[in-house]
Amino acid sequence: MNLVEVEFTLNGERQKVIVPPRTTLLEVIREHLGLTGTKKGCGKGECGACTVLLDGEAVLACLTLISQAEGHAVTTIEGLAKGEQLDPLQEAFIEEGAIQCGYCTPGMILSAKALLRKNPSPTQEEIKTAIAGNLCRCTGYVKIIKAVQKAGRRSAEVAAHD
Amino acid sequence: MSFRYVGKPIPRVDAREKATGAARYMTDLAFPGMLWAKVKRSDYPHALIKGIDVSKARTWPGVVAVLTWPDVPGYNGFGIVVPDQPVLCRDRVRFLGDAIALVAAQTEEAATKAAELITVEYEPLPVLEDPRAALKPGAVQIHAGGNTHQHNLVTQGDVEKGFGEADLIIENYYVTPRQMHAFLETEGGVATADPDGGITVYAGSQHSYRDQLQIARALDLNPRLIRVVSNPTGGGFGGKDEIVVQIHLALLAHHTRRPVKLWLSREESVRAGIKRHREFLYYRTGVKKDGILVANEVKIFADTGAYATLGGPVVSLSVGHACGPYRIPHVRLESFCVYTNNGISGAFRGFGVNQVTFAMETQMDILAHQLGMDPLELRLKNALRQGDLNPLGFRMDTSVGAIPSLTAVGGSELWKNRWAKKAEATLPWKRRGVGIATALQGNGLGAGRPDYGGALLRLLPGGTYEVGISCPEIGQGNTTAYAQMAAETLECSIERIRVYTGDTRKAVDSGSTSASRSVYTGGNSILAGAPTLKERLRKAAAGLLGLPEDDLEFFPEGLRGKSTSRSATLEEVAREMDRLGLSREVKSTFLWPAAEREIEGAPGLPEIIYAYNTQIALVEVDTLTGQTRVLEVVSVPETGRVINPQGLEGQADGGAVMGMGYALMEDIIMEGGYYKNTNFSTYILPTALDAPGHVTVMVEESEATGPFGAKGVGEVVCVPVTPAITNAIYDAVGVRVTKIPVTAEEAYRALADNSLLPHGGTTPHV
Repeated sequence: MNLVEVEFTLNGERQKVIVPPRTTLLEVIREHLGLTGTKKGCGKGECGACTVLLDGEAVLACLTLISQAEGHAVTTIEGLAKGEQLDPLQEAFIEEGAIQCGYCTPGMILSAKALLRKNPSPTQEEIKTAIAGNLCRCTGYVKIIKAVQKAGRRSAEVAAHD
Repeated sequence: MSFRYVGKPIPRVDAREKATGAARYMTDLAFPGMLWAKVKRSDYPHALIKGIDVSKARTWPGVVAVLTWPDVPGYNGFGIVVPDQPVLCRDRVRFLGDAIALVAAQTEEAATKAAELITVEYEPLPVLEDPRAALKPGAVQIHAGGNTHQHNLVTQGDVEKGFGEADLIIENYYVTPRQMHAFLETEGGVATADPDGGITVYAGSQHSYRDQLQIARALDLNPRLIRVVSNPTGGGFGGKDEIVVQIHLALLAHHTRRPVKLWLSREESVRAGIKRHREFLYYRTGVKKDGILVANEVKIFADTGAYATLGGPVVSLSVGHACGPYRIPHVRLESFCVYTNNGISGAFRGFGVNQVTFAMETQMDILAHQLGMDPLELRLKNALRQGDLNPLGFRMDTSVGAIPSLTAVGGSELWKNRWAKKAEATLPWKRRGVGIATALQGNGLGAGRPDYGGALLRLLPGGTYEVGISCPEIGQGNTTAYAQMAAETLECSIERIRVYTGDTRKAVDSGSTSASRSVYTGGNSILAGAPTLKERLRKAAAGLLGLPEDDLEFFPEGLRGKSTSRSATLEEVAREMDRLGLSREVKSTFLWPAAEREIEGAPGLPEIIYAYNTQIALVEVDTLTGQTRVLEVVSVPETGRVINPQGLEGQADGGAVMGMGYALMEDIIMEGGYYKNTNFSTYILPTALDAPGHVTVMVEESEATGPFGAKGVGEVVCVPVTPAITNAIYDAVGVRVTKIPVTAEEAYRALADNSLLPHGGTTPHV
């Protein structure tokens, strides 16, 4: 069988996988490496549940072939907290009640993370645009938007403090 | 009365694990040696099976098992009310989702390929796609008992006499879509074969114990040998109330004695999963010129699809709620729940109430306009009060929140400032409008149904409590509400409560997470069991502290003397209970209050307890494109005492957007029994860009039978928003919406037909 060898970093750790070339980043993360925080809702880039960060940019892991990760840094929801210290987005999602069934949450948080990295004080419209590709069926998005705003403010305060 | 936890916006107890990715959903599970499964489904919407050839699949590399109907050891059928859906079809298929064979293989790829290699010989039968056509004489019979699954007829008063008294009668025909739940986690999970000969099924669900029963019946196993785990579930909304994958999983694990994973793709979920009933509704409503409703005649044709599941009860609720929360003395309410060869319809948040609320609240809006009356005033004038007879002749003895909810919405900023808001339209061809609608929603399973709950309360040696209530957590937040109510009742710190839901081994059977019932059921079950356990703690602590029992009080970490500084921690009390031989465990039971008899002509009706909700919407219609944007929604749910305001807001936010999708975009379209939109590129869901600003105003009428006064909130929050939006569209542009979803194309056509386009109005060629 035709196989490719791909090296990348996942949540700061070097990984090497040898898999068929058509294998997606999502399959590698979930099936080969056993990190199931990254969800699968459609497998076709329509729902956003599998969103991860590739060098800080939000990408859909189900549409990313594993070779596209070669030499890049992949961050999944498991890689966001620093030990017990949650990311401001995770904290804000918990505090604001932005999580219900939670299945969209990892992808939603990572799309928001990519936004806040570039734009720490986004407007409501900018937040909506950034998460427009992440479907949520439970929350009506209201508390998610509030959580992202709150995390942005908190990150800005932390940055100013540093 | 003041509470430590009840009524407080306590953050969800499961939020951290969901925010960090640590939460393991059932589709995340993997076991050593696990096989992958695929289902071979029907190629025709309606056909006789003349032969099934699995020989090529059996020999495909990596295939471990291929199962067909003779491999079902027990009853080859399932269904919550009538088990008329085959586990694996033998001689006939009735819709495209029907399962014919199961494959388990070493890899997902091998299972997929092998399933494709199964050939079935069919003899196609005529396809019934409209319930009205299915009722015609000579129509092919989908089931032996005929195409009418259930017929309801309820009459009160004399409807023709009522119309005779009316000053104004309006008659309209409404159509509602086949909405899809679209939970983000599709149906799936893993089953394992246990050393004791039993099976564990890990699959998202809304009723672990009923799944256990249905699996056991199909496998011909003692239910005690079946464990069902379904927590957490990645969304349900009613769509995981019925079996979809669970029996197939169990069957494969049973035959292979290996772990097996089956996880439906989104397309397969659309094909095999449950939907909301498409209904065709004929409404004739009579009113006096002062606005008093006098007569309502309703006839409903509901498309229940190929199998029964909860179709009967859903359509009963359509009948029960057809008149809204109003007094109407003369009614004739009839419904036909009809089999077709379309996708199966069953439970979906609102459970038959969404369809009739759209129709009735549109009738109310039309009446208000024709009478020249304020639409809020018309509703207030007719709204039910506690003690009234409802239109079905049932006395509303429990809390009735229609008037408080309507009154509160009248005081909202959006309603008070609606004229100014309407004038704020941004461009000359955009028009704004505000609409209002109200609804009630029965809680619980209704009359004549086993509606019970129970809680396992156990003090552990370490001084924490386990609380086991089986209603699965599907996202609605019952786990957190249970923790709050348990901590309140057991008078301990909430950190000392561990809640277990959705697991037949760790929780007592409390029925389904459906019918807006989980908080009410679980809370009452906790209240039923806690006093017994607390008595035992008190007894042990009294001996330990050398104090009389009535001189003791609970404090967050244990018990202490009321007038001394002596105290015992829960750990110490647990140890003392063991020494005294006092059980640290209580299993409680709770029975829902129910009407003594069913309403004639409507099985399952009435419910005793109702939640209420009024919603108003501000919309902006682009008259160049027909596109409607919902800018603001205000919801005023009256659901008894609120256990967790943050949870209630979350439900109301999400419900408003789900009801908006129903109004404007969502419909699973079927032609000739085939699905036309099977993914999220063609079945359009509201995104963050579509979501309106949303405000929840809480109105709390304490319900005497509810735990801490609570009622159920989960469904009513998504119901009236739909007609609030369509009534707002009328307010904006003068187009009356009687068929939903009103997509941009539909609205544009209606604007053109009414010569309301800004450029004078010609219908373009489409």
